[in-house]
Amino acid sequence: MSRELLPVADGRRIRAVVGELLGRAKGRTVAAFAILVGATAIGLLTARLLGGVVDLVVAHRPAAELVPPVVGLVVVAVTQAAAAAVGVSLVARLGETILAELRERFVERALGLPLDQLERAGSGDLTARVTNDVSVVADAVRRAMPELGRSLLTVVLTFMALAVLDWRFLLAALVAVPIQVYTVRWYVPLAKPLYASQREAVGSQQQQLLDTIGGARTVRAFRLGDAHLDLVGQRSSVAVDLALRGVRLVTRFYARINLAEFVGLSSILAVGFLLVGAGSVSVGVATAAALYFHSLFGPIGTVLAMVDDAQAAGASLARIVGVADLPAAVEPARVARPVDTSVKTSGVGFAYVDGHPVLRGVDLEVAAGERVALVGASGAGKTTLAKLIAGIHEPSAGSIMLGGVALEELGVAGTRRTVALISQEVHVFAGSLADDLRLARPSATEDEMLAALEKVGALSWVDSLPDGLATVVGEGGHQLTVTQAQQLALVRLVLADPPVAILDEATADAGSAGARVLESAASAALAGRTALVVAHRLTQAVASDRVVVLDAGAVVESGTHEELVAAGGQYARLWAAWSGQRG
Amino acid sequence: MSTTGRDVLRRSIAGQGRSVALASLLTAGHQGGEALVPVVIGVVIDQAVAGASALTLVAWLAVLGLLFAALSTSYRLGARFAERAAERAAHELRLDIARRVLHPAGGTEAGNLAGELVSIGTSDAKRVGTVNNVLPFGVAGMAGLLVTAIVLLTRSVPLGLLVLLGTPPLLYLAHLIGKPLERRSEAEQERSAFASGVAADLVAGLRVLKGVGAERAAIDRYRRTSRDSLRATLRAARAQAWHDGSLLALTGIFIAVVALVGGNLAAAGQISIGDLVAAVGLAQYLITPFSIFSWVNGELAQGRASAGRIADVLAAPPAVGTGARALPVPSTGHVQVRGLSRGALRDVEFEARPGELLGVVATDPAAATDLLDCLGRAADPLSGSVSVDSIDLSTVDSQRVREVVLVAAHDADLFAGTIVENVSTGPLVEDALTAAAVDEVASALPDGVQTAVTERGRSLSGGQRQRVALARALAADAPVLVLHDPTTAVDTVTEARIAAGLASMRRGRTTILVTTSPALLSATDRVVLLDDGRVVDQGSHATLAVRADYQAAVLA
Repeated sequence: MSRELLPVADGRRIRAVVGELLGRAKGRTVAAFAILVGATAIGLLTARLLGGVVDLVVAHRPAAELVPPVVGLVVVAVTQAAAAAVGVSLVARLGETILAELRERFVERALGLPLDQLERAGSGDLTARVTNDVSVVADAVRRAMPELGRSLLTVVLTFMALAVLDWRFLLAALVAVPIQVYTVRWYVPLAKPLYASQREAVGSQQQQLLDTIGGARTVRAFRLGDAHLDLVGQRSSVAVDLALRGVRLVTRFYARINLAEFVGLSSILAVGFLLVGAGSVSVGVATAAALYFHSLFGPIGTVLAMVDDAQAAGASLARIVGVADLPAAVEPARVARPVDTSVKTSGVGFAYVDGHPVLRGVDLEVAAGERVALVGASGAGKTTLAKLIAGIHEPSAGSIMLGGVALEELGVAGTRRTVALISQEVHVFAGSLADDLRLARPSATEDEMLAALEKVGALSWVDSLPDGLATVVGEGGHQLTVTQAQQLALVRLVLADPPVAILDEATADAGSAGARVLESAASAALAGRTALVVAHRLTQAVASDRVVVLDAGAVVESGTHEELVAAGGQYARLWAAWSGQRG
Repeated sequence: MSTTGRDVLRRSIAGQGRSVALASLLTAGHQGGEALVPVVIGVVIDQAVAGASALTLVAWLAVLGLLFAALSTSYRLGARFAERAAERAAHELRLDIARRVLHPAGGTEAGNLAGELVSIGTSDAKRVGTVNNVLPFGVAGMAGLLVTAIVLLTRSVPLGLLVLLGTPPLLYLAHLIGKPLERRSEAEQERSAFASGVAADLVAGLRVLKGVGAERAAIDRYRRTSRDSLRATLRAARAQAWHDGSLLALTGIFIAVVALVGGNLAAAGQISIGDLVAAVGLAQYLITPFSIFSWVNGELAQGRASAGRIADVLAAPPAVGTGARALPVPSTGHVQVRGLSRGALRDVEFEARPGELLGVVATDPAAATDLLDCLGRAADPLSGSVSVDSIDLSTVDSQRVREVVLVAAHDADLFAGTIVENVSTGPLVEDALTAAAVDEVASALPDGVQTAVTERGRSLSGGQRQRVALARALAADAPVLVLHDPTTAVDTVTEARIAAGLASMRRGRTTILVTTSPALLSATDRVVLLDDGRVVDQGSHATLAVRADYQAAVLA
């Protein structure tokens, strides 16, 4: 299967989506910007007022005259602080609301993606977007953007203030700009690949530790300790070397920024010195100019250092918008309703790769309420057939009917309501157990949930959980055993209550105890439904109404357990080995 | 050797002592230089007031240039030494931790989930290493403070005292204002991180959601979580904004006070204009060392906690003792279990004769894992013994034991690399790939046996993973191979094929198959049935198959 990554938005789409979201809060956007500009402008009065104090002293004015500018300083400090707080809060609100809206759209579209598209893209792509990219953008919205915005504003307004003091101060300050521009143009192309390989090295170092430490028992059993220590050492050394190269680059960057600071400050001081000497500005104004420029060191460093952060956030945003911007799924104009709960496939064929058919002309009829077990080697096409009937893939030949209606006429939502597929994948959703179960039936009452748990025999262990149904399970919560997690999948099936159910779960736990628990749970969950069970243990086949044996994508045997054992074919041989009678 | 967190921290610093010392010296130079910048600005202003010549200006600008060159160079070199000390110390710790975890005697996994050990090897090692990066900056902050104190006190004692004594209460006040906000915002940031966690979780369970048609319910739930989290984030952001605002206001007011006092002193002729400018600049600068101190403090606290966790791993008692005896080479593979009790095992007694394929059925899964631990000397018996070729394993070093006895656990992990690389731990790679039916797995994969295994084998399905792990165990060609439920996720057709392949490949080599799979058991020479941790019967699969308890354990 060739990888076909999920879409990535171009600059135009990103601007359109972000613009649309900003447009919804036009008033707030304008207010936030205006207040921040105001706060920064007020802050610039500080240096002027300090210059005023200097001028008063130079003019040998009485000390009492110092009080007004000092009071002014206090007023400026308080007003600037309050305005900044309000402005920053407003900007945060704006950014966070847009972020929330984006991630909600993203999740909505992601969960709506057809599974075959997702499989072509590899689930890693989507997972990386929802974890890495969302957190990179969130971090930018929370930290980088406000800081970058405020710093940029401070820089621009300070330059304006310098011009107001005297246009020659502005020229002096601009002397530093070429050095800064050069520094950034030199730095970004070097930093980007270095940081990318650094992230990669840290990732593979962590992966190695996960491999080695997580698999410590295996490493010891196979006496691979020395080889693994070497690997850990190598991966760690690569990461260390890259980190040191990174710090060398960053310190060289700051050295150039320091040079720009020195050049700018010297020219401001020189201009001040000369202008004071010529009598065209006061000592206070020269002081203010020097203080302005000195206070720019921080903001300029921030703006320049964040250029590559901003680029990284842009790339992540493109991947988020790419998914959030996908069109919603379309339902057929007229949705047909199934007349019963039977399943019928006629001449169904399927290939993941052209020329390599996985299924060939499969005819299978399951009567309403019947339970059929699918038996066959891996690669025989059992799981593929299950996925086709559940509507996850479309057959390349033949047709599939649920309750006498073709799948395409049922539509996506109709198919989901009619048939449930419990696959080999087990996932316990993070959150309370009740929340997990309510995914299958949002309106479920506590009694309904308890009844469903009881039905599949899970009530006893749920009762013994620290908080019963309210126990937090899944990632970061109470760890359930694999058997318990598989039982939960069956409880969800009972709650979702579809007329047709397909079971394709393997018992991954050691020992037969878990398998037995699951088999009786599955039996209970399937009661009253038309069921197709992909049999991983032959006891599942014995318990079914009919057994269908698949081999190389085609049905080779079909009948009850007894009939097939008596027929002496492939199934009979399997059963003989299984039950201890050498065939 | 008992190791404490303090030892770990001390060794980590001492191991990079030279780098840490050089970094401290250099960064101290940097901060001292930063403190001198406002002083030079003041001097230039003074010269302007005095109407000095342009030559004087040039001289002072040269001084400023030298100052910048010095502070810039010290920062550049200091930061490099500090980072090197940090990275190297973390590297050494990572290796120490890996070495201890992999030690043949084991013992670190008791009470630690694998994930926790990994996080100790990555985050905690990094945090302890970071202490080496942080200490020099702490020293530098002190240097900045010292330079400021000397400059101010030599110009004017009252002004110096005002700035030096005024700064700590100012920062304390800001800390007090910030504290409740910080605590609240931490809790709220955690809640906001929750939203992205929920999104990732739903995406991870996408197939499960689609299986039961729960997409709509999941989207609705996510929207609610996201909105909750948005409200929490906004509260946190507001709190943070007002906290930053109050710090801004306090600093501004402090500078106003310095200007008032300094202005009065200057007006009275006690200090020069330049001194006044320098004092205001230094009052602004002083925030830097103090914020460095609070950062250093936080990092040190984290470093100490991490060092404690690392010490716990390094000092974990080994699971088994050492041993001086050796097993004969080549081994005949004669395994005798005598009166063995440990955990769920009660007085277990059986033997695997040289070359035998012996099945062991345990009705209690705990008994099976305890038996496995004793057979591979991952644990020593409480009483009784396990011996190979009549030598008690508890007298043999565990590394030597594993040269003869290979225990392949049920949930054995695969490692990064291709399938064939995973299997190539022993000589019989080709035969093992066929016997474990990996050839079937390979034919369904893009690059066959050269397909890369990622995410510790999670890129393969459970059944595929088990077969590769089984092939690896078979390829090792160990004189004694112990397999635990190697085919639970493999379909019945393939399982039957594997049973035959395994039996033929291990012909003449002792193999103990701990399993409840009838397909595998039917291929064994003999089966030992353990019930309630005791041996209750022995015989062929077919003869045992009439027993009700055997049927319940194996055939049900």
